[in-house]
Amino acid sequence: MAKTAERDRCVTGVEGLDTILYGGIPRSNTVLLTGSCGTGKTSLALEFLMHGAVKDENSLFVSVTENSEKLLQNIIPYKFFDKSLIKSGRLVFVDMPVMYERLGLTKAELSMEEIELLVNSLASLAKELQTKRLVIDSITSVCYKLKTSEKIRDFILKLSKALSDLGCTSILVGEVTADSASYSTFGVEEAIADGIILMANMERRGDLLRTLQVIKMRGTMHSRAKYVLDLTPVGVLLVPLLKGGSTG
Amino acid sequence: MSPEMVSAQQIASELNETPPSSAVSLQMSVDNYLDVIRGVVDLFANKRQMDTIYVAATISSDAIKRVLQALDIDDSRVYFVDCISHIMLGATATQQDEQTTLVESPTMLENIMLKVEYLIRRSQSKDKLVVIDSINSLAIHNNNWILSEFLHVLVSGLRSRDAYTVILTVEEHSTPELNNMVSLVCDHGIHAGKKEG
Repeated sequence: MAKTAERDRCVTGVEGLDTILYGGIPRSNTVLLTGSCGTGKTSLALEFLMHGAVKDENSLFVSVTENSEKLLQNIIPYKFFDKSLIKSGRLVFVDMPVMYERLGLTKAELSMEEIELLVNSLASLAKELQTKRLVIDSITSVCYKLKTSEKIRDFILKLSKALSDLGCTSILVGEVTADSASYSTFGVEEAIADGIILMANMERRGDLLRTLQVIKMRGTMHSRAKYVLDLTPVGVLLVPLLKGGSTG
Repeated sequence: MSPEMVSAQQIASELNETPPSSAVSLQMSVDNYLDVIRGVVDLFANKRQMDTIYVAATISSDAIKRVLQALDIDDSRVYFVDCISHIMLGATATQQDEQTTLVESPTMLENIMLKVEYLIRRSQSKDKLVVIDSINSLAIHNNNWILSEFLHVLVSGLRSRDAYTVILTVEEHSTPELNNMVSLVCDHGIHAGKKEG
């Protein structure tokens, strides 16, 4: 039987996650990193970019919900993070509201032409900066300006294609409510993404544990087990969730 | 006749005979705690310039620090994962600092593993020792299934990092189930309990 070629990996630098993914995210994949608030999505996404920047891969963080200056003030004091990465342009922060304003996208709902303009602008920026890793935090906030499933599908498909063509591995941060049975707010994001990483708060006997689970990842085998994580100055650490003989 | 205790030096000598990545079950008596601490932390780990990661589930890290000071043991290489102070809700003065990491509850076994992993990564010393004090205290808060799984995952992870693991068992409070659970993951056993002389 013919053996399929092993895809090149984008090593996230988060040791436990790379083990779960058998070496990292297949390069050029678009991954939906989804979960409710306080589960560590932004920290994990930032760490992914920082490890990339440290390895000389240009990395771009597109902040939609929070001003990037404020974001950097609240960042975990990572041992591996060096502010010179920002000065040198290896790690770039862009605020989406500023981008909207520059492009004249100030209406509450974007038209198909405006979506095209937004995709092209993000792709041009990624190309200009020779971006190899990109994070949009959050894609849900962008989707609120698109309103319909058709527009959301169009936007994510076009953006994924453009970034993938640039050899850029992307993480789209998604927000869902804690009781959501779906992996995304609009139900479209999860179907289009190449991968889904679900982060959650799990209550067990009154204790709240942060968990991570890879639901799907095109182009690689991966563990589907649930892991417990901690956000530390040496980065995100993961250990298997203990089952304690439970059958549930 | 009063029972004869195993000395701190004997405990350290037995530990010195075990290779790195060993997991050791150390069965002690409540009356022998000070000798065990001296033998494990001072005469074994400190003497070999090894960082000790001490999982405190019986008494708070503050109380253990006081014991170390009273015994004149250097605690500069001892790092605590304290899983008891937080549930005492301010009854102790223990604060999180460079040497002390708090876990909210001894039921959060995954978080204990995560804090141990964090301290191991942060440690600069070549060899490391992880002390679990004690399996009996953890058994108060956790059922045997999850505790057994915890020990298996923790010890396997520590072995892969060439760290020594010492699991303290208090013989007066132990059960055959707990003893079996510990011996299943350990390569060596040290009996530092009471010996009828």
